[in-house]
Amino acid sequence: MRALRSRVIPSSSAETPIKKSEQSTEIDTAAPASDGAEVVGTPSQSSVPAPDSGGPRSASVMPQPRRSLRLASAASRRGGGASAEGLPLPLKSCPWKGVGSGEGASPCEGEKVEAFTLGRRGGMSDRQNIGKRKLEDDASLIDSKGSKSLRSRKSVTKRAAHSDAENLVNAFDLEENQWIMLSKITDLDGGDTENREKGSCNDEVGSFRSRKILRREDKGKDKIGDNEVIGLGAESSGSKPSGIGEQRKYGAEEIGKAKIVCDNMLSDCSSVINLDMEINNLLQKSESIGQEFLNVAVAQRKSHRVKAVGESSSSDIIRRNFRNIARRSASRFAHFNPDDEGGNNSQVEAERNASAAPRPADPEPEDWPGPFSTAMKIIRDRGTNVSTLQSNSFFNKWKSPIIWAPRRDRHTQAKRLIPSLLELCLNVLAANANAITSLDGVPDMPRHKLSQLLCDSRKMNKHFFDLLVGGSPTEIRVKDSSWLTEEELSESFKRCDTRNIMVLQLDQCGRCLPDYAISSISCSASCFPALSTISITGACRLTDDGLATLISSAPSLRSINISQCSLLTASSIVTLANKVGSLLRELYIDDCQSIDAMLILPALKRLENLQVLSVAGISSVSDDFVVEFVAQLGLNLRELVLSDCTNLTDASIKTIAEVCPGLLALNLVNLTKLTDSAVGYLANGCQALEKLILCRNTFSDEGIAAFLEASGELLQELSLNNVKKVSTDTAISLAKKSRKLQSLDLSWCRNMTDEAFGLIVDSCSCLKELKVFGCTQITDTFLNGHSNAEVKIVGLKMAPLLEHCRVLIPDNPLKY
Amino acid sequence: MRKEDTVKLISAEGFEFVIDKRAAMVSQTIRNMLTSPGSFAETQLGEVRFPEISTTILEKICQYFYWSLQYASGKETEFHIEPELTLELMMAANYLHT
Repeated sequence: MRALRSRVIPSSSAETPIKKSEQSTEIDTAAPASDGAEVVGTPSQSSVPAPDSGGPRSASVMPQPRRSLRLASAASRRGGGASAEGLPLPLKSCPWKGVGSGEGASPCEGEKVEAFTLGRRGGMSDRQNIGKRKLEDDASLIDSKGSKSLRSRKSVTKRAAHSDAENLVNAFDLEENQWIMLSKITDLDGGDTENREKGSCNDEVGSFRSRKILRREDKGKDKIGDNEVIGLGAESSGSKPSGIGEQRKYGAEEIGKAKIVCDNMLSDCSSVINLDMEINNLLQKSESIGQEFLNVAVAQRKSHRVKAVGESSSSDIIRRNFRNIARRSASRFAHFNPDDEGGNNSQVEAERNASAAPRPADPEPEDWPGPFSTAMKIIRDRGTNVSTLQSNSFFNKWKSPIIWAPRRDRHTQAKRLIPSLLELCLNVLAANANAITSLDGVPDMPRHKLSQLLCDSRKMNKHFFDLLVGGSPTEIRVKDSSWLTEEELSESFKRCDTRNIMVLQLDQCGRCLPDYAISSISCSASCFPALSTISITGACRLTDDGLATLISSAPSLRSINISQCSLLTASSIVTLANKVGSLLRELYIDDCQSIDAMLILPALKRLENLQVLSVAGISSVSDDFVVEFVAQLGLNLRELVLSDCTNLTDASIKTIAEVCPGLLALNLVNLTKLTDSAVGYLANGCQALEKLILCRNTFSDEGIAAFLEASGELLQELSLNNVKKVSTDTAISLAKKSRKLQSLDLSWCRNMTDEAFGLIVDSCSCLKELKVFGCTQITDTFLNGHSNAEVKIVGLKMAPLLEHCRVLIPDNPLKY
Repeated sequence: MRKEDTVKLISAEGFEFVIDKRAAMVSQTIRNMLTSPGSFAETQLGEVRFPEISTTILEKICQYFYWSLQYASGKETEFHIEPELTLELMMAANYLHT
């Protein structure tokens, strides 16, 4: 196949881009594997002409077939045994109209047919040739096509179906494979020009349709039931998005061009009922990719075509299959709301409240079109609408339906970040910390910042600690007390007047805080009367008794952070609940390995006013735990950190969304079992979210985009680190909805292009920090071309390491 | 410099520093004082008193204002701070929000 392809590719060098796309499609079709799925798959791939480059296709064509092949094979695998064998059957009778753009003289149809029947390979090149030729002709027809077809999918479909190049059109509908099949089936004895037109039209249509189909499939994954999209294939919802996303990405420019031609063609064709498109889509989704697919495609064509073209015996089979498929998808048809004409119909669709396709692979499908599913539909249609619109406008808008051009006059943009006097002073002080004799009168914030600076540069020592502790401080914050010994600690605290301390932070205090050292800090019961926030992370030598002593000396405790205290067990939590149960607002027990989640559940339930719970890394956290906990305390909950609790599934998120309407921050790092359903639940339930941290989750592009559309308006901090499928849809939704975003992490999202980044950064005017670690696909086009003067882009080569750690203001104690 | 373009900053000891308004606006606190609606004495007289800030510190602050304007216009130099002043300067800077 490869060889075949290469043969074909060079011949198309003279073609226009459009043709090339077709060609590539052809090529892909030509090189289908034995299973129809593969064939189908390839078209979809190939119909997505070369990726963003949009440049010379031939070069890009090559890689595509391979990709599509993969997809195809994947699809075929999933296709549940769509047998390739089925393919040849119907094909035999159909002349293989050069679906592909054939350049040069097009061999007569008849020849092609035979060529096809002889073997795929044989026919393919012909097909391709023909297709190419047709494309050329089609190009000339573009002008004649009205805009009608361009506008609505329906009309396009219609026309496509009815065009004389029915074969071709059909073929396209089915994404290459179909197309090819169809062309075969239908007798393309019409004039060469006609066929050519059709062919090109088909190509266009096919790619166009496949696009649409893809989208549609995305949309209606559940509806379809048989999700197999040729090409996109039987990818399950999970994989499908990526496939679709990729396809879309690639097809952006290419498809746009193809579409234009195609659309033009179509407009000339007689109108085809919308159902045509639907059917096509349905067809595509048919399980048995191969034969049924083809059959359906053909049957569909036949049934809808105004002029039945060359019915062959296979058409009967096709019709039968088609009927089956139609029966299956009847309900979908019934609910389908064709989109209005015009570009991005998001608004229209939202209002229409179309029977929003439930999210794919939704274990408990929404029984009402909630905001998430509506958003999903919008997003799915967005692509197709754009593609429809594209035919009218320029290519470059499509896919990467991201219209963003870097600014030229960049030098006026660069607003220098003038270091503030406070910063300068702090730096000097940090450099000369040992010379400071007293911190009297210095307010808490500079103290904290100074302490931070010193800890970061490892210059923190007892001298400064004494300064911090001296007098009657209200806050003692040491981010890193690993240098502190027990003696130093006890000595410093002896001189400390603890009456006013409200915040005590001795993080990483394992060395200095064993049980017996607690007495040196809390000399008597209630010796911290005002203490409301305490953080002693890393106190690895502290046991339950020590903690109990500490807690008893702080009767007004509202927030406690005992993360990484490995000796603490469930009884600590019980003590907490006993002593400060109704006061406690924040509880952080990250990585406390000895605390069993289910054992602490009863104690947790007694913390009536708990607003923040962080149980990162505790492996015993399960769905049951979350569901039960949230059911009791969900109303007050503002922040929930569940990172690394890998046993959690969508069920927990569903409950959280239902019971925690006031949730402001959610951390779902590394929860790989979550699917798009989880995002859907969140979108519908937690609409006040301001901070969402995702990392290594397997959400799809559309899922995230739909979430943003539905609930992304209040987001201030968003992390999509390593959510690899994130791509243009998310970018568009971000730019549109998340205007309050201040911090965005898109590290390792390699599907985001320069344009996507540019659009986001320019639209989110509040954005201060953008993390792009691992995004080596970013070029200077974005870096120098974006017009947001305040954003700090960290993670690329030029930024100093660790600078991102200092960008945003550190958290204040008692966040909510 | 015309009177309308200047602001007078008065230290604890009574020293008066007459500086450009643009320079004074570098400080958020002063900017708010001078531009907020309502008739503050500061706005009317065009002078601001700082009873907690000593003269040396206020002088250094004014120097910072001008340095900051210079930095913004492209000339990036280093602003040297004497270590003895730093602590008080930091507190003043914190107060002035600069």
